[in-house]
Amino acid sequence: MAEMASPEAPPADLRFRRRIGPLAAVRDVWRARELVRTLAERELRARYKQAMLGLAWALITPLALMVVFTLFFNRVAQVETGGAPYPLFSYLGLLPWTFFSTSVSQGGQSLIQNIPLLNKVYFPREVFPTASVGVAGLDSAVALVALGGLFAITGFLPRATSFWVPVLLLIQVVFTLGVTYVVSAVVVYLRDLRHALPVLLQMGLFATPVAYGIDFVPESFRTLYVVLNPLGAVIDGYRRTVLWGLGPDWGLVLPASISAVVVLLVGYLLFKRMETGFADVA
Amino acid sequence: MSPKGQIHADRVWKRFRADRRRMLLRDELQRLSARIRRRGRTGWRWALRDVSFAAERGTSIGLVGANGSGKTTLLKILSQVMYPYAGSVDVGGRVGALIEVRQGIHPDLTGRENVYITGSLLGLRRKEVALRFDEIVEFAELEDAIDRQVKFYSTGMQMRLGFAVAAFLEPDVLLVDEALAVGDAAFQQKCLDRMQAVLGQGTTLVFVSHDLAAVEATCTRGIWLNNGISEADGPIRDVLGTYRRSIEEAAESAFTVPGVVRLVKTEVSGTDGGIPRTQEPLEVTLIVESPEPRLGIVFLGVSEGPAPPVFSLRHDLHLGAGETVARCVIPRLPLPRGRFYLWAGVYAPGGRDLLGWHPVAHFDVAGGDLDITPPGVVRLAPIHVQASWDVSAR
Repeated sequence: MAEMASPEAPPADLRFRRRIGPLAAVRDVWRARELVRTLAERELRARYKQAMLGLAWALITPLALMVVFTLFFNRVAQVETGGAPYPLFSYLGLLPWTFFSTSVSQGGQSLIQNIPLLNKVYFPREVFPTASVGVAGLDSAVALVALGGLFAITGFLPRATSFWVPVLLLIQVVFTLGVTYVVSAVVVYLRDLRHALPVLLQMGLFATPVAYGIDFVPESFRTLYVVLNPLGAVIDGYRRTVLWGLGPDWGLVLPASISAVVVLLVGYLLFKRMETGFADVA
Repeated sequence: MSPKGQIHADRVWKRFRADRRRMLLRDELQRLSARIRRRGRTGWRWALRDVSFAAERGTSIGLVGANGSGKTTLLKILSQVMYPYAGSVDVGGRVGALIEVRQGIHPDLTGRENVYITGSLLGLRRKEVALRFDEIVEFAELEDAIDRQVKFYSTGMQMRLGFAVAAFLEPDVLLVDEALAVGDAAFQQKCLDRMQAVLGQGTTLVFVSHDLAAVEATCTRGIWLNNGISEADGPIRDVLGTYRRSIEEAAESAFTVPGVVRLVKTEVSGTDGGIPRTQEPLEVTLIVESPEPRLGIVFLGVSEGPAPPVFSLRHDLHLGAGETVARCVIPRLPLPRGRFYLWAGVYAPGGRDLLGWHPVAHFDVAGGDLDITPPGVVRLAPIHVQASWDVSAR
C-alpha cells in the first residue's frame, strides 16, 4: 500500500491532535466509574490488609499530629483560637490538610505505580489520581469520628453556622483534585520528583494555617496568600463556621474558590496534554 | 468511531527519542542546556512512517518484520495506549491486547483481581466478567494459583493469564504480540485454536510473531513492516514470500565469516547439475582451504529462511594443507517446492569452531507443495513425505 518513497517527516497538517472536549472527558470518566471503584477498593484493601490496625490508621495520623501540636506548638507559640479548645482548633485544620496531603502523595504516585495497567488498554488515565483522592476522602470520613469524640470530650458544640461546611468542602476537593492531577502527571516524566514530595508536603503543612490561625498571615497579604493556597481560606472557613458561629470570610473564600477552580481546570488540561505521552516514557 | 471490529489507520507516524533518557529531572535539565547551547534539536528516531491500513470486522492480519521495525509500536497505537505523532487511528469496539507478557497484568494483585481489573478496563461490568471467570481460569490452567499474587507466577503462568483474559473477554479487536512464544508447545496450540475460535465469532485479529509458520496458519492477510514503513500488504502467502526473500538477501551479505579455515566454494545442485527436485538426489560440494593439515568435522544444515535448520548432517573431515573437496549426496531430498538455505560450519574435534555456523548458499527446489494443515495448526518444518492412501467402505 504505502510503497511510495517515504518523506523524512510527516506533513504538518497531518500532525495528530487530541481533541479534549470537556463533555467527552466527563463522559469518559463516567464510563470508567466501575474502574474507579475497583481501583479505590484495591488501594484500600492493599493499604489496610497488612496494617494491623486497619482503618484506624486514618484516625491515628491526624490525631497524633494534633497531640504533638497541642503539647508543643501551642506551648511555644500562643495560638489565638477564638475561645475554642486548641485540640479542636488544630484538628479542624488537620482534617482538610491530611486529606490534601494523602491525596497528593498517594495520587501523585498512582500513575507510576500502575504502569503495567497504563500500557494495557485505553481508558481515561485520570481514574488513578481520582481514585486516590476518593480513598483519601474515605480516610477523612473515618477521621471525622475522632472529631465527634473531641467535641464530646471538650464539651464544646459545633455552631449552627456549620451548614457552610459543604461549600468549603467543595473548594477543598476541587483544589486537591487539581493539584493531584498535575503532580501525578509530572512525576511520570520526572521520576525523581517523587522523592521531593514528602519534603514539599511537610513544608506545606507549616505553610498552611493548620497549627495556627490565618491571622498569622499579615492582613495585607492574606488575599494573595489564599489565592496561592486556597486551603488556608478553607481551614479558616471551617473554624469560623464550626467553632466560632460566624459566616465564612467571603473576602478570602471567594478568591480561594476562584483559584481552586482555575487550578483544577489548568491541572486537568495539563494532565490530558501530558497523558498523550505517558506510554512513550512508561 | 468506527463500527465494532473495524480498524482504520491512516498515515500513522510515530517517533521516539533517540538519546538514552532516564526519567529524571537532572537528565531533563542536561538535555535542555544541550539544546540551548547547540541550538540543535535532540535526536528522534522514526518508529513508524506513513503506515496506513484498514481492516473489516473478522479479518485476521499477520504483522511481520524484523526486530525494531515498529510492529509493537503499531500494536500499542492500535490499542490506543500510545498516540501517534501524526496521522489518525480509529479502532471500533473493545480492544483486547496481549502485547508484552508482563504488560497489562498487575504484579501486586492476585490473578483473580487482575481478571476483574482487566475486565473493567475493557469496559465490562463485574457480572459480565464473573460469567466468563471460570472459563478464563480453566483455559489458563491456573485453578490452584488464581488467588495468589501475580508476581509469584512463573512467566508462563503470567502469559497464560494474560492471553486468557485478553481472548475471553470478548474483544471486538484482539491484538496479540510475540508473548505466545513463552508458552509450551501444547499451550501455544491452545492459543492458536482459541484465536481461530475468536475469529469465528467475528473478532478482528492482529497477530505479531516471528514464527512465520504460526502467522501463516492463523492469518489470511499479511502486513510487512520494514524500518517503520509498510513494505507489503496483501494475502498472507504473498507477503510472507516477499518478506522471506528480503531476509535471505540480507543474510547473503553475511556469507563470508572469518575462521581458521576458509570456504572457497559451495555448490548445490540436483541430478546432472540441474535444479534440485523433491524426492530426487541433491548434491552439495564444498571446497575448504586450510593452512595446515588437521582433523575437522563438517556440519551441513538446511533451513527455510532464517529459521533453525529443518535437518542437519555431520561428517568427519581430514583436511590437508591447501584445498580439500567434500561432496555430500542426499539421495532423496525431503523438501517441498520453495527456496531454502544451506548452512555450514567446520569444527575441531574438541568443539572449537574452525569456521562458524553460517548460511553459505540458497537454492530453489522444484517439485510438490506440502499438504496444508488444519486451520490454526502450525507446521514446524517443511518436510516432504511421500504417502499413499487407501480409503474404502467397510
